Amino acid sequence: MHESFRIAQKTGLMFRYDQAMPEDMQGWVVQQLQAESPAIGIANIYSTAEEWPAELQPNLAKRSAMWRQFRQLKKQQREGKNGQDNEAAVQANRKANLLRDTDELKFVHRNVYGADQVKLRLAAFWANHFTIGNTFDTSNMIGHAIDEGIIAKLNGSFADMLYGITTHPGMLTYLDNVWSAGERSEKAKDCNRRIDCHAGLNDNLGRELLELHSVSPAAGYNEDDIHSAAKVLAGWGIDFGEDVARMRKLTGGNNHWDAYKKRWQEPGSKTVMGKRIYAGKKGLRQLTDFLAMHEHTIDYIATKLCRHFISNQPSSEEVKAVKQVWRDTNGDLLAIHTKVLDLAIASPDVKFLWPMTWLFQVVRLSGATFFQGWEQRHDYSNDLMRTQKVFKELGQSFWSERQPNGYSDDPAEWMSAEMFERRLRFAHAIYENGRVRRSTSKIMDRIGASSATRQLVASVGMSPRDQFIALMCSPELMGLENA
Amino acid sequence: MPKLNLDRRSLLKAGAASLFMSGLPVSGFTQGKPPGSINVIILEGGMDGLAAVPPIGDPDLMSIRRVLTPDSYQPLNDFFGLHPSLKFFAQLMARGHASAVHATSFPYTKRSHFEGQNLIQGGGLSPFSETSGWLGRALELAGVSGRSLSLDMPLILRGHKDNDNFYPASIRGSKQPAADLVQLIAMGHASDNAQVINQVAKKSEANIKVPRDPASLAKYAGKAIAQADGPVASVILVNSFDTHASQVDDGDADSGRLATQLAVVDDVISGYRQGLGDAWDDAIILTLTEFGRTVAANGTTGTDHGYGSVGLLAGGSLPASRVVADWPGLGKRDQFEKRDLMATIDYRSVCAACVERTLGLDHDLIASQIFHQADLPRVYDAIFA
Repeated sequence: MHESFRIAQKTGLMFRYDQAMPEDMQGWVVQQLQAESPAIGIANIYSTAEEWPAELQPNLAKRSAMWRQFRQLKKQQREGKNGQDNEAAVQANRKANLLRDTDELKFVHRNVYGADQVKLRLAAFWANHFTIGNTFDTSNMIGHAIDEGIIAKLNGSFADMLYGITTHPGMLTYLDNVWSAGERSEKAKDCNRRIDCHAGLNDNLGRELLELHSVSPAAGYNEDDIHSAAKVLAGWGIDFGEDVARMRKLTGGNNHWDAYKKRWQEPGSKTVMGKRIYAGKKGLRQLTDFLAMHEHTIDYIATKLCRHFISNQPSSEEVKAVKQVWRDTNGDLLAIHTKVLDLAIASPDVKFLWPMTWLFQVVRLSGATFFQGWEQRHDYSNDLMRTQKVFKELGQSFWSERQPNGYSDDPAEWMSAEMFERRLRFAHAIYENGRVRRSTSKIMDRIGASSATRQLVASVGMSPRDQFIALMCSPELMGLENA
Repeated sequence: MPKLNLDRRSLLKAGAASLFMSGLPVSGFTQGKPPGSINVIILEGGMDGLAAVPPIGDPDLMSIRRVLTPDSYQPLNDFFGLHPSLKFFAQLMARGHASAVHATSFPYTKRSHFEGQNLIQGGGLSPFSETSGWLGRALELAGVSGRSLSLDMPLILRGHKDNDNFYPASIRGSKQPAADLVQLIAMGHASDNAQVINQVAKKSEANIKVPRDPASLAKYAGKAIAQADGPVASVILVNSFDTHASQVDDGDADSGRLATQLAVVDDVISGYRQGLGDAWDDAIILTLTEFGRTVAANGTTGTDHGYGSVGLLAGGSLPASRVVADWPGLGKRDQFEKRDLMATIDYRSVCAACVERTLGLDHDLIASQIFHQADLPRVYDAIFA
């Protein structure tokens, strides 16, 4: 494979079939980190790529209002009121008020049409690191968290990203923190006087903040540390469907991304892993700042970054170099990413590609139109699968109900007969239904396919479809072998 | 890790009459097909054993977890009840085809999902110490292969090159890939990947269509296992047992998130029963979960990560219905670290007994080769004798 394509495969999403090639690849990768990231997509399958309309990218307040409306209509449906108890009304409610399909399609469009491919790969890494699963009540929030919590914060400090995602309503809802109250909070005291009221701590987010998002179990924290982290978090977040007046009353504001319920907070200072954390709202920032620069966090996440971008088994020198940049720059993500990508380019090792990444690369290289336009996001099509279904079949979706540890980077997790069969079938489906714009031989010439790959493609015979499948499922295009 | 004291183990017989269904001897497996099939249902997230099989005879239960204990539990005996969602399982108990092992866990006490899930599947001495799974190693030792009904290959089954995973695809515009195309593509890959890819070619022969819900998958697994040359092991994963919030609905402990998930487990067992047909007689189905949950409810009508839980066993290979437990009690002093149900039976021993019964391997071999712990206690007689 030509050097430019090798680098794009490893660090990006491949150059689209009609995209001009940069001359200085190393410089290109660094520039990519500064690229603008508008959401580019298509209105329908015959239109050209343009920016997504603003009205399909609502802010948090609007998202919350939609969720509130959804629940209200659903309640009417249950009670048989207001003509809501029929299938048409149920569907209309989902289309009007749930954003999962829209957000997921936008994410796909970004990856298929975006000119910011390296940033998008980093975005996928971090969105996976800070997994927010789709537990239905997070339907309207995951897309926002990826856009505003991850993509918008890729060039800031890790501490900012950690604090931002921890306080994002999506995370606070997914890991149950919106319901967690300090054991000695005013809320709990009130509650304990009544029979039908429960209020107390829920340690779900506190545990994963330490285990998955920052220091990892290697840090050797104990159950008390988890409990204390949960206490620091108590009070953060509010039910996304809460009405505006009540939200103002509980949090003193109307910003879902800064919602802290004072009456639910645990009074007093806390100690997490030896660090004393002050009482009150500011305690969380103090905690996430402490965790963001903890030596175990640096080791855990630097290693994870190296494994994602550089090699399935990065060397200790590579990990060490990234850790050093982390310390030297106080966790500046732009500097850290630059180092990781430099090392990825310098390393001759191949990197096995996630199914999702591979699919985007196949679509970009071939110029296929495999996904609907935003105007068509609710339409049924004989040819095009719904986005949601595509990723379900692929076994990888940021919008699935999944565990907070995210998807693995270990090829062993992905190389099974069944997962491979999915790739064969998607290559097939993209060829059959995707209006592929470049022939297999053209694609091979453009990327500089290896002789082994050419041999493989030739071996399957004259069928253009089989040749396409063979190319896309070759070791070279799957990131399995050096060529 | 508490010290195991199996001498004190008390076997509490289920109330209903028990039938001896299986007459097959468990002699050392020599050649041909092993004596039975082993089917694992992984309950991801950490199942609350105290709600699934509530110890209603424990004097502390109602004072600590009234809000979490189902009202319409089915009594199994003087001491244990069964969650109302486990309807089919209750029928099996009544017919002597199901058992429960209580206050049990893998020896893991740190309450991380991901370490725990790795350990219960890997079956090693510590999390992430194994690259293969205990069932995969068992199948390797027995010289047979297993099949997993999931899209990815779970760790538990890794360890045998012919182990296979299966999950029916539904991709518009694509067909089952032709076997010769698959073989040609496989030839272009490095040998270990080529081996994996070639399994796709084998599958291409049969155009299989099954629905995607867990119960139908179980039925499919049962049918496959019932065939003369079918697999002898299967794994089904059921998620969402991590009931931190709304484990039960407000004011109704019979319903809620846990009730919904337990009903799925019940359906899976029922699906297996239907699919297995006569092969039921030599089958064992066992659940596996990374940990139990806190004895007391947390502040959000749920429970946080704990330690001891319950294992549900079903299959005609059980000679009688029992609740096997060395009950530790629920009082504060009886709890593990003053918060969790103590585990008094090592669940690896239960897995080992199931392997011994269905794959015909010797316990000492299982203990040393599969679980790397030569002195792992043998609980076979408590379950299968």
